[in-house]
Order: sequence, then structure tokens, then C-alpha cells
Amino acid sequence: MLGVYDFCGHYDWTFEWLRRTGGEALVRTYWEQAIAQDSQRHAAALIVPQGIAGMRAYWDHTLDHEAAGYHCVATDTVYRIDMFACPSQGFLVSNGLHHYHDYCDHCMGWVGPLMRTAGFVIDHEHNHAGRCWWEIRPAADTTPPSQPGGLAGEHDVRLLSDWLQPGGLDIYQRANGPDDKQPAAAGSVPPANGETP
Amino acid sequence: MTDPQSPLPYRDTKPVGAADFYFAINATFRFLLERFGLDALRRYWTDLGTQYYAPLSIAWKERDLPGIAAYWRAFFAAEPGGQVEVHERDQEVVVAVAVCPALEHLRTDQREIVPCFCQHCYYVSEAIAAPAGFTVRVSGGGGSCRQTFMRREQAAAPQDLNEIREVTC
Repeated sequence: MLGVYDFCGHYDWTFEWLRRTGGEALVRTYWEQAIAQDSQRHAAALIVPQGIAGMRAYWDHTLDHEAAGYHCVATDTVYRIDMFACPSQGFLVSNGLHHYHDYCDHCMGWVGPLMRTAGFVIDHEHNHAGRCWWEIRPAADTTPPSQPGGLAGEHDVRLLSDWLQPGGLDIYQRANGPDDKQPAAAGSVPPANGETP
Repeated sequence: MTDPQSPLPYRDTKPVGAADFYFAINATFRFLLERFGLDALRRYWTDLGTQYYAPLSIAWKERDLPGIAAYWRAFFAAEPGGQVEVHERDQEVVVAVAVCPALEHLRTDQREIVPCFCQHCYYVSEAIAAPAGFTVRVSGGGGSCRQTFMRREQAAAPQDLNEIREVTC
């Protein structure tokens, strides 16, 4: 029987099996159709009609069940998550698993299309070491992402000394899918003195 | 094996997995079945057992039937819900599933379950067991079943897939 105790391990393995079978296009189709539209229909049922309130309801439940290390901020116009201990990536690292080349992309792979349906866009960065942040706003709102500490205060992962990793950041701006990733460049580098600019 | 003392090939920091991941397992089966057909889905299950669970095959070969029994006890202790007993005998290990945690959770959430869901238990376990010199026979399904692990030379007949019931929601 396939279990959920090691789900993230065979989930990561499945991405690579799909890539070998049908290329990256199949992996993306899988994230959108199997995960966003099928597996995570309970997320859509909350977020599409309720917006940010639905995001709070969904992620409060899910991240608690997954024993994530995270902090959320919700206002009337933005929902932000700071993930400082991703349970999913953490499972892979602690077990020495690395089948697919960028496991972290799966989140944008299903959350992105769901947010497009719900009328939201996403600013997001992940550091491939179990830390990431998300800001989700209505698509019509052109507000840029917050500066480090500006929205999440001391909980902002960008203020952590190990936020910038040798592997670099993956950066998404007003995104709705994994292929909206920005070309590798400078990320949102926290100020050297740790103060909010 | 990440921990040579553990019967599980992979370990997590939380004692029990998140039940909602059963949604993704079921959705993955449906995606592959609808897009590529049953043969491809069975190949996915076999590859999963052979490749991802390769460390478990090594462990079962080293630890013999007690290792198989220990694995399933630890496995179901880490799954949310379900009612399962593992019986270790001289020549076999019987996993008696009274309430399957996966089907229980999928039904509770009123998910449409792929009819061949229970076949994955045979294909994945057989792919793990074969390199270790064991085989499995599954009977029942749809929420309760019996899975018997034995040495390959002691199997009287191949798995009859008709012994594995289709799932109805």
C-alpha cells in the first residue's frame, strides 16, 4: 500500500517518472489537472468563493496537519505565508531523496492555476532549502511585494541569515504557474543590517 | 535505509502522515489511468515498488519474514486511521486490513475513488517483495482485505486479479 507517512518521497519520485515518460509538459499537466483540479478540490472549494478567507481556512488546516513551520498574515487585500520549515522539502532532505530536479516548483504548479481560477496572482520566492514566502493578491491589484519585514515583521524568512543559499532563489512575480519563474538573478536580498528598509 | 534500526525505509519527524495526501494518491492513479490506460498505471506501480522502495527490498531480504512483519506494523502505525493486524507465522506474514485508512478517508470526504485502486497494493508490494525472494497475494479490497507475504517458491499459484475487488464509492 502506498502510504501518506512518506508521501512527499513518492510524490517527488512521481514527478521524475512523469518527466521521463512525457517531459516537463506532462509534469505541469499533472500538477494542474491531477493536483489542482482533482486532489486539491477542497482547496478550490474554499478559495474560489471566499478568496483570502478561504486561503486562511485551507492553509490553517493543511499546514497544521503537515506539521509545517510557518507564519501567515492575512489582510483584506493580501495573504502572506512565510515558510521557515517546509515539512515536504524537509522530508526529502532528511531522507536524502532528490528524484526530480526542482521539487519546490510543484507548489506553484498547483497553487498557481488555482489562484488564476480564483482571480489572484502570486509573488513568491523559494530557496530550495525548506524556506519560502508567498504573497497572494487579487489580480487587479498591482501592489508590488512587500519589502523584507514589511508585512510579516520578524517572521519574514528573508530576514533569516541563511535565506540566501548557494543554489540561489527561484523568483515569481505576479505568477500563476511554474513557468512564470523569473530568470535567475539577484533575489530579494535582505539588508545587511537586518533592518526593514 | 536512513535509519538502520527502523523497519521503515524513510522517516518523518511527525509520527503520523497527513490524511489529505490520500487525495493526491487517488488523483494520481486517475490521471495515469485516464491518460495512459491500465497497463501504464500498473507499470507506474511496479516502477514505484522497484525503484523508490528499493531500500525496502534490501531490508526484507536481510530481515526475512520478521522484517516484513515489522515493516507493516510500523507502516500502519504511521498511517492516519484504519484498523489493521499483522500476523507473523512460520512461513508467511498476513496483513489483515479490517479498515483501510486510505479508502476510509477518501469515502469520508466523498471522493470518487478509481475502481482499480486496490490493485496498487498488489503491484507495489510484489515489486518490493520479488527482489527479496518473496511474493504477495491479495484478496478482498474495497475497504478491507488480506495480504499474505510468503517465499516465492511457496506460492501455489499466481495472483488472481479477480480476487481483488473493484472499489465502489
